[in-house]
Amino acid sequence: MADWIPIALSRDVPVGITRAVIVDTREVMIWRGEDGVAQVWEDRCPHRGMRLSLGFVRGNALNCLYHGWQYGAGANCLRIPAHPDLTVPPTIRANAYAATETGGMVWMSSDSADPPPLLPALTPVITLAIEAAPERVLAALGGSTAEPLIGLPFAGGTLQLGWHRAHAAKTMLHATGAGADIAAATAHLRALRQSLEQEAAA
Amino acid sequence: MPKLYDYVLSGSCYKVRLLLSLLGIAYETQAVDFFPGREHKRPEFLALNPLGQLPVFEDAGLVLRDAQAILCHLANTYDASGQWLPRDVRFGSVMMWLSFAGGELMAISGARMIAMLNYAGDLAALQAKARAALRLLDDHLADRAQAGGLWLVGATPTIADIAMFPYVALSHDAGIGHEDYPAINLWQRQVRKLPGFVGMPGVPDYF
Amino acid sequence: MSLTDDRAALDQWYTLGALQDFPAGAEVPSRLLGEDLTVRRLTDDVEVRAAGRALPVRTDYGHLWTSFGTPERDLFELPESREPDRRWIHCGPVRVRASGLRLVENFLDLAHFPYVHTDILGSEAHPEVARYEVEQRRDVDELWATKCEFYQPKAAAASDEGQISKYMYRVVSPFNVMLYKTPPTAPDRWDVIALFVQPADEAVSVAHAFMLVIDLTSTDAELSAFQQMIFVQDKIVLENQRPSLLPLQPGRETPTRADLSSVLYRRWLKEKQLRFGTEPRTDLQSTDLPHA
Repeated sequence: MADWIPIALSRDVPVGITRAVIVDTREVMIWRGEDGVAQVWEDRCPHRGMRLSLGFVRGNALNCLYHGWQYGAGANCLRIPAHPDLTVPPTIRANAYAATETGGMVWMSSDSADPPPLLPALTPVITLAIEAAPERVLAALGGSTAEPLIGLPFAGGTLQLGWHRAHAAKTMLHATGAGADIAAATAHLRALRQSLEQEAAA
Repeated sequence: MPKLYDYVLSGSCYKVRLLLSLLGIAYETQAVDFFPGREHKRPEFLALNPLGQLPVFEDAGLVLRDAQAILCHLANTYDASGQWLPRDVRFGSVMMWLSFAGGELMAISGARMIAMLNYAGDLAALQAKARAALRLLDDHLADRAQAGGLWLVGATPTIADIAMFPYVALSHDAGIGHEDYPAINLWQRQVRKLPGFVGMPGVPDYF
Repeated sequence: MSLTDDRAALDQWYTLGALQDFPAGAEVPSRLLGEDLTVRRLTDDVEVRAAGRALPVRTDYGHLWTSFGTPERDLFELPESREPDRRWIHCGPVRVRASGLRLVENFLDLAHFPYVHTDILGSEAHPEVARYEVEQRRDVDELWATKCEFYQPKAAAASDEGQISKYMYRVVSPFNVMLYKTPPTAPDRWDVIALFVQPADEAVSVAHAFMLVIDLTSTDAELSAFQQMIFVQDKIVLENQRPSLLPLQPGRETPTRADLSSVLYRRWLKEKQLRFGTEPRTDLQSTDLPHA
């Protein structure tokens, strides 16, 4: 399970959107077409290296902003507009990671040997970028960097926090909850962000 | 016909162009050679705006400066529905965001001029201010999204959204990506889906 | 970062900007190939110094040129600069966080017009890039792409309607490129639009766009605004290409027939053994590595 990394709240990636995410200094992107399936790809078009997160979704396809190269859900290139009559060779493909959604979060894996985690769907709370090392953030939350999730009792309910390392000094926290006051949970996590960042800056 | 004194790369002029397009108002433009010509500091332009800043908008004898003031004028004059500048309890909140758009958020503009046009200034300090402004916006939009709202104020887009959008979208010119701001990412998409939306260089039409 | 040891990059002419941007008497800092410079304009002369050393200077085509090394050739020819009815438009320096070679390659590219310059230089309804010709002119060591045609909704500042524009591209050195295109108002002439790239660092460039155009109607501000609009539309692409340095290693990117000029350009850069602004290669034996 440690192989799977939660990188966003599912709520923040609705149909038709692209989203850039930094995962352990790698640039990845999430997009979701009309079929509702979240895709996680390397943020790079194989043609000229353009970041695909700047592209646009139409139907079930992602289009690169630079030359309009169009990719299907299977990451294969469907169309090269400069050559409208060309049947695109199947070797032209974006670099897709294994992706799944569970517990209200989008997860990725670059080595999906283990099955993805199975979690109950909780209510999305918030994603926070915290300018502090994951080790510090996890310690403050009573979690471990060996696990992708932290369970936190909160005001009569539970918070389930996913996290990923953006880089050595930045942690992304993806909070979901059950039975918890969402506004109070959000305020609590923002206060935590502030104290961790003050500590990191000191 | 209303006339916009315009510079194509100015995010502040873009605020005005965007609302003009959303409201479907016909207008003419006069290109001002802001860079490299610094035409906005010449006497002819200073006669229009002694502050030497773009945009300037002429309409039926009025000569207005300040993008936020021009947005208010356009909504007040041309939007019969009252949607873009609501006169109810939302009014104060709209004004608050207009002030933020012309104030704290302009750190992005400053950083962009240094990064892109080699203006003098402290890039790192402005980038830090820009990030603080973007985080404040992202927090607000996350709270709005949690409550089911898509826009900065109330249930419909207002000139607050239009005043805020350009420099948020242009922050990559200042070296700031949107990876840390999921709620901003969602909101930007809503703005881009508005009928009549137009982009500018650095803000692609496609999304 | 300090001055590169890349001989192929050192032995070239580079612009530091339009002469008008260097006021007489003032000392202006600049940067080239990883090294800081100072430019001082005296009454008639311009002095460029780096690390206490005076560098060679040229003042052709309204621009200041210099070199750290000993260029094999003198500056390129630009015969249109002698035509009296041409408007000289300096569009101002724009800094871009990308390799200068990426800027040149983008300048040579037709296929992005419908997506990056939508409804101006191209439209999504007409994305096809027709076959064009490329050649390396060995006598002048220039690359040319000719017989390029593209449907353009608004080809220039003075355009009232769409047209099939004819283009020729000319690469005169690794970081200097220009295009010739049919002006809307003078179909028997060629407008010249040049992009002189000042490679400040490997992944930071200053783009100097310069036009020699036939246009009797547009103001200078309109002409400059049009070209700045086009260039800054490209900037968002250039700053988001990965890697920022141009990859010369086969298989790193995926060219198609529309990219013929880029294929020739990359081959030419390899032939010159140019390294500055290119992605370090892992496919070469140590004996094949370009020498400094």
